[in-house]
Amino acid sequence: MFYRRAGISHTSYRQERQLWPLPFDRRLALFVLALTILAPLLVDRLYLVGYLMPWVIWSTATLGLNFLMGGAGQIHLGYGAIIAIGAYSSVHLVRAGTPFEIAIVAGGLASALIGSIFGAAALRVKGLYLAMATLAMQSIVDFVITQVPAISGGGQASLPVPTATFFGIAIVGDLRSYYFALAVCLIVTFFMLNVRRASFGRALAAVREKDYAASILGVNTFRFKLVAFWVSSFIGGVVGAVLAFCYYRAVSPDQFHLDLSIQIVAMAIVGGVGSVLGSFFGAALILFAPILLNQAVGQAAEMFGLAISADLRAHLPLMLYGGMIVGFLLWEPLGLAKIYDNVRNYFLVWPFRHARH
Amino acid sequence: MNAAATPEARVAAEPATLIAALARNAAQCGARIGFRERDFGVWQEWTWSRVLDDTLALAAGFEQIGLGAGEALTVVGDNRARIYMSMLAAMALRAFPAPVFPDVPVGEFALYMRHGSPSIALAEDQEQVDKLIELRERIGRPQTIVYDDPRGIGAYRVDGLVALDEVMAGGRARLDATPGLRAELIARAQPDDIAALLHSSGTTGAPKGIPLRHRNVVGGVANARTGGYFGEDERLFAYLPTAWVGDFVFTVAGGVLLKATVNIPERQETALHDLREVAPTFYLAAPRAWDAMLTRVQVGMADSTPLKRRLFDFFMPRAIDMERKRMAGGALTLSERVTRAIGEALVYGPIKDFLGLSRAERAFTGGEAMGEDTFLFFRALGVRLKQFYGQTETAALSAAQTEDNVKAHTVGRAMPGVDIRIDDSGEILIRSVSVIDGYFDDPEATRSAFEDGWLRTGDAGYLEPDGDLVVLGRVSEVVRTQSGERFIPNFIENRLKFSPYVRNVAVLGAGRADLAAIVCIDFEAVGHWAEQRAISYSSYADLSQHPEAIALVAGVVRHLNETQPAALRVRRFVNLHKDFDADDGEITRTRKLRRNVIESSYAALVDALYDGSREVEFDAQIVYEDGRRGTMRRKLTICEVEA
Repeated sequence: MFYRRAGISHTSYRQERQLWPLPFDRRLALFVLALTILAPLLVDRLYLVGYLMPWVIWSTATLGLNFLMGGAGQIHLGYGAIIAIGAYSSVHLVRAGTPFEIAIVAGGLASALIGSIFGAAALRVKGLYLAMATLAMQSIVDFVITQVPAISGGGQASLPVPTATFFGIAIVGDLRSYYFALAVCLIVTFFMLNVRRASFGRALAAVREKDYAASILGVNTFRFKLVAFWVSSFIGGVVGAVLAFCYYRAVSPDQFHLDLSIQIVAMAIVGGVGSVLGSFFGAALILFAPILLNQAVGQAAEMFGLAISADLRAHLPLMLYGGMIVGFLLWEPLGLAKIYDNVRNYFLVWPFRHARH
Repeated sequence: MNAAATPEARVAAEPATLIAALARNAAQCGARIGFRERDFGVWQEWTWSRVLDDTLALAAGFEQIGLGAGEALTVVGDNRARIYMSMLAAMALRAFPAPVFPDVPVGEFALYMRHGSPSIALAEDQEQVDKLIELRERIGRPQTIVYDDPRGIGAYRVDGLVALDEVMAGGRARLDATPGLRAELIARAQPDDIAALLHSSGTTGAPKGIPLRHRNVVGGVANARTGGYFGEDERLFAYLPTAWVGDFVFTVAGGVLLKATVNIPERQETALHDLREVAPTFYLAAPRAWDAMLTRVQVGMADSTPLKRRLFDFFMPRAIDMERKRMAGGALTLSERVTRAIGEALVYGPIKDFLGLSRAERAFTGGEAMGEDTFLFFRALGVRLKQFYGQTETAALSAAQTEDNVKAHTVGRAMPGVDIRIDDSGEILIRSVSVIDGYFDDPEATRSAFEDGWLRTGDAGYLEPDGDLVVLGRVSEVVRTQSGERFIPNFIENRLKFSPYVRNVAVLGAGRADLAAIVCIDFEAVGHWAEQRAISYSSYADLSQHPEAIALVAGVVRHLNETQPAALRVRRFVNLHKDFDADDGEITRTRKLRRNVIESSYAALVDALYDGSREVEFDAQIVYEDGRRGTMRRKLTICEVEA
């Protein structure tokens, strides 16, 4: 119905590999891009800071994790720690007088360095054992940050974040923070969209599907696993800096505990492992479903005059939320991105059932 | 540099030959795309200046290997840009291409090489090369076989086998070494030269040679353009057999004369897919192809999801009713317009897009009668399908419908510059610049078909009061039943074939008390229908004799009988165990029925249809692909249809 494919022809393979060969997809992508750019004009400031900003930042984080999980097939349960390293490194560097432009990259590099050291475990262990190794990383990093006052500023301390200046523009206020976070998100998104079309992405996919088969094909699995950890951790570090400078504006160790890691893993899985679009869907669902369910339960209770106990009132949304995630994964184990894909296919072959006759 | 002095510019004014037109294209819009061919999934493009360069290189090369003026260049194979350019190259040498249908077997091939003493043949691929080598062993011609696609030919150790690449390289070297040859080649062809030698379909007897001269095709295309049937800068889709007049006139002549972009599919099998990638603005297909397209849509919709099917079932009949109303001259009400607009977004547009017809401003069909259902369906979709009428002898350009004058049963009015009259016996006579002077080397046939510049078409028809031409069928096909009812079997057959389940059918009844039919089911459509009903079958023969399949066809026949006069209803039919096949001589290469062959090879079956038996044991003659023959005993069920 929306998708028109007549008259689309290519004169080279490069042209055929373009990101969105169909005009409708191109227009849709542009429309969503325009919406995110115009969002500050369209929505209330409260929604911008309370909903859109975390969505953009968490989506970026999920993209970074998805690079490792979906791209290279390596599990990571310590992504929160990676983000923490990036956040603390960049904040300390800026406090020490380093320009923000350098600090954000340095934060990424610090995460990449430490992340790859732990990632090196992936060269020896797989699956559950790798999960344990990354979990250990989370604990170690948490412990080090909390216990070294030079980093955290003390056990319970919250480290204030100075104002950053990015190429002469001070990142102050909600609007500039939002646009900065959005810009980082877009860069990561385009990197993710394109990496799959490059030889690098195909090598990673080979490693993901079966690492020894990949090495038989001539893919250096040692190198690509390490690079996957490096790149993913670099993105995580940059997200940490964005999180610190644009959103939290004061960092404390409890912001980066295991629950953040689990949250981002959940976003990647619910959204669809390996899917760029899924990262955005997953982040949205995990972030907003509890809030919306909470409001819905509250309103329902009011509307129908139900006298539910405060305990149930607090826990009912959580139960529904859990049920929802289980339901989505039962319905479509490949995540929300796959559901979108199914809907897209339904319209793509409109008015037929299949693509070919 | 004085641009006006170049040979390209001098002929630019009013091209009288296809070569002059090609030179004009290269001079006026040399950077525009002339030919596009899909190769390994991506489209290779030739700009007009490259087309001219390659054509001239080919011409110089062909001359080097001995192609001379007045000689034929036999061309056989699927549509390929380089084959089209070789055809043009032959014209530049004042020789002429004689395209042959690629599925002509070796045994019949010599019939297409009788004229113009062709000593060189251009084959597209290994299959055709093999055929030509065998042909050379039999009749000593062609001495030189040029091939386009080298795949599989590398190991051949045969004399006189030349790659088209070599021909072109040789020609290019000659062009570089001989200054002035280029200009001379462009100017050589004359309007009176033969542009192509085509052949009649040979429904009765051996095919006749039909020489189309440059002035015929240039004049014909100019007529069609004046009438608005053809515009400049079209996107064409070249998938029809090169030996069919439609392909030559519309693709080669029309494409070059009117600066179209000619798109060539990768293979015949991918033509439907490639059609969608091209989305041509001008699309010509035989009624059969439109029927097949309709079947594809219907089968796809029958299989679709409930919501989509309901939308289709809601909007499609309404669109057809509206189209009927519009063709009768009525205006649409507001609510009908709203329905149309919604339907366009939900159903018509997506189906046109799926078929690749969303840009088809000019869609034509011709060659035989088209079913009203098919015709209405596509017009209802918004494809401006029109019927045209013409014969190979008239360069296919004689009459066509215009958008404001479309009726299901006519083929429109005479094109500008074309005179049509009906003689006393009801035969259609045509006079036009596009009509050939006479058959090639066949004075007798020429005498009987041409009369004071008028061509006897052999088609029966009449002119309606408003000048619209109605074609009934071949004059020779009009037959009578025992009681003297006149009918044209082809007309009834076409109406039966409107059903997606009937692929071919022969209606019998000349000199008999009533009509009977031999039906060939459409294996794909009936097979799909059977699968949905969990009817198991093993082969075409098995499926055709299944009681439910017979009942299905009986329903189709009953539907036909509803609109037939009582004396001309089909009372009995039999499902044949196989489809009619050109290799068995039952139909021509252009899929026209050869009635005499069918009546003789199925004589036992025909007798059984009229002697009241319920079943018939039939010894089927089988010709295997390798030419061996065999027989197979089949038991076929005869079905009565209540009147």
